[in-house]
Amino acid sequence: MTQHLGLRARITLAFAIGTLVLSALLSATAWGLTRQNLLDQREDSSGVVFYRNAEIVQQRLPTETDALTLVGSLATPLGAHPIVYSDGAYTPLTPEFGREALPAAVRDAVLSGEPVRMRFRLRGDMQLAIGIPIPSANAAYFEIIPLEDIDATLAALGMSLLAASLVTALAGATLGWWASRRALRPLSDVSTAAMALAAGRLDTRLSPSRDPDLRPISASFNDMAQALQDRIERDAQFASDVSHELRSPLMTLAASIEVMDNQRDDLTERAQAALDLMTGDIARFQQLVEDLLEISRFDAGVVRLELEEVHLAELVMQAVRHSTDRDIPVELDAELAGVVVRADKRRIVRVIANLLDNAAKYGGGATSVSLRGVDNGVQIAIEDRGEGVPEEDRAQIFGRFNRGGLAGRRSASDGVGLGLALVSEHVGLHGGRIWVEDRTDGLSGARFVIELPVEEPG
Amino acid sequence: MPSPFGDDLITRMRSVSTHILAVEDDERIRTAVKLALEDEGWVVAEAATGEDALTAFQQQPADVVLIDIMLPGIDGFEVCRSIRRLSDVPIVMVTARADTHDVVAGLEAGADDYLTKPFAPKELSARIRALLRRARTSEVASPHLRFGDLEIVAEEGVVRRSGHDVHLTKTEFRVLVELAQSPGRVFSREVLLERIWGYGYFGDGRLVDVHVRRLRTKVEADPAHPRHVVTVRGLGYKLQV
Repeated sequence: MTQHLGLRARITLAFAIGTLVLSALLSATAWGLTRQNLLDQREDSSGVVFYRNAEIVQQRLPTETDALTLVGSLATPLGAHPIVYSDGAYTPLTPEFGREALPAAVRDAVLSGEPVRMRFRLRGDMQLAIGIPIPSANAAYFEIIPLEDIDATLAALGMSLLAASLVTALAGATLGWWASRRALRPLSDVSTAAMALAAGRLDTRLSPSRDPDLRPISASFNDMAQALQDRIERDAQFASDVSHELRSPLMTLAASIEVMDNQRDDLTERAQAALDLMTGDIARFQQLVEDLLEISRFDAGVVRLELEEVHLAELVMQAVRHSTDRDIPVELDAELAGVVVRADKRRIVRVIANLLDNAAKYGGGATSVSLRGVDNGVQIAIEDRGEGVPEEDRAQIFGRFNRGGLAGRRSASDGVGLGLALVSEHVGLHGGRIWVEDRTDGLSGARFVIELPVEEPG
Repeated sequence: MPSPFGDDLITRMRSVSTHILAVEDDERIRTAVKLALEDEGWVVAEAATGEDALTAFQQQPADVVLIDIMLPGIDGFEVCRSIRRLSDVPIVMVTARADTHDVVAGLEAGADDYLTKPFAPKELSARIRALLRRARTSEVASPHLRFGDLEIVAEEGVVRRSGHDVHLTKTEFRVLVELAQSPGRVFSREVLLERIWGYGYFGDGRLVDVHVRRLRTKVEADPAHPRHVVTVRGLGYKLQV
């Protein structure tokens, strides 16, 4: 069972059980000692009275004919019930404390000539029976001394000790809970820091512990985080450096190609075809370098939003009009007509342009762009007429160099596979999310949805 | 009456008079850009360093200057500021990225427009043409305008504050005149970008913001609390009547 319990629960349980056992042991000892002490005292004091009474009985028995008178004349300050045995008959003072009340063992022992002292229970109450033979008169004297008051005292004591044990156990559990929290706090710090690292805050570190026991943990955690950060930054820096280095030759190539294109008419048809290929691929190359540079900046965590107040509906309209497929119908939620949001205009435009581009390349072209309000935000949806994206590809389609569902089917119009990854980064930076689903009208095609939180300009 | 030289020659002579100074330390890029710009019919002078650029500009003032911000020695910002002290020639700067502080710093150093590398030479030509057009169109159809202590004599291209001439670059002047043509009307950044820079909706609003800021330092008594060119939060700018 313990394997289902957490460390804290186990520590708490151990503390609780430990304190319970310990306090129970102490309570039991205390109870036992008290009981013994009380009984001994009572037996000693009742013994003194008993022997005095036994002497009286011994002296008067030969002369006294009525045993009942003799019994009645005895002093019993502790509420003892005297019983005189003579001539084979028991004469009690009180009928219910007679022969039957005495344990057989006491009677037998005394009648065989042994003085006896014995505790027993009579009708549930503890009693002390004392008996002594009186051989001179062929008789015996007994007393039954009730010990109920001691019994009650002991029961009350037992209850208090039990309650004290339970309280102690509870205190132990609390102590365990607190101690385990204290002991585990460094672990929860580690887990918080690890989560922050995983979320991309690479400069997260644990504050160095002053506790010598914990110092190695925080030190090794920080070393690990540093190594991770260095490595990620090195990778991002490499991608960034490569892209930067590629930009200069690309610039020269783009300008040179344009100069050649200006002289296009002087070229042979074959040279023109080659020129077109170069022009197309240099554009692709440039896009790839730009995208790589952008994504390496995301990786390095240096991308910042340029927020400005943007008229959302107009932004979407303009983004569509600006794209290659400017005739796509745009459906606007009427209540969003005047909504102004704080957003990075150019990034949102990039997002819409990339999605339209994606629809053109893999979805047979976009069929509609819609903008509608949802709780705490807006949704921009772009639908196409392609085959849609199979369920299992929907998560990884926003990864890098993924051609959603159409991998392997490259055509001349194929772009590079960073578009959707960048879209996802841009949207994420705005605190929004993006996903792909089936078209809602049941026709074949994918529906890309961007959900952006709306921060009313304040 | 047909020209004795033919229209073609006249066009070329007019074009020949347009000088562009390209400041870029990468020789191969410089050569390629020069070739592309020469195809537009412009005369292109080259400079590989900031020092060369200043010397070249003093010897032969250009009609448009193209400056790469990343230069060895004197950097592009400093070249920009130095040229600005000498002239209100339109300046296009080339930055590595659009979303860095370089853009704002370059505009504050006096640049009129910017491009990010790698750019298509056709884009550069379009920017240059827009700047040349701006430089030559002081002929705004509005007479003498007066707003408090501010006086705009559009046909002369002169602005006076409290009777003293204020020196504005062509772009700053255009921003002021554009606003002054409809005093009190709010102009969004997009409209100003389109009318002055020839950009559409997707132009960089910082172009407008920085030029307005620079304009204020010249035409406002207290640029921190402008009384003429005021911001209308969330909408744009207007000239206070």
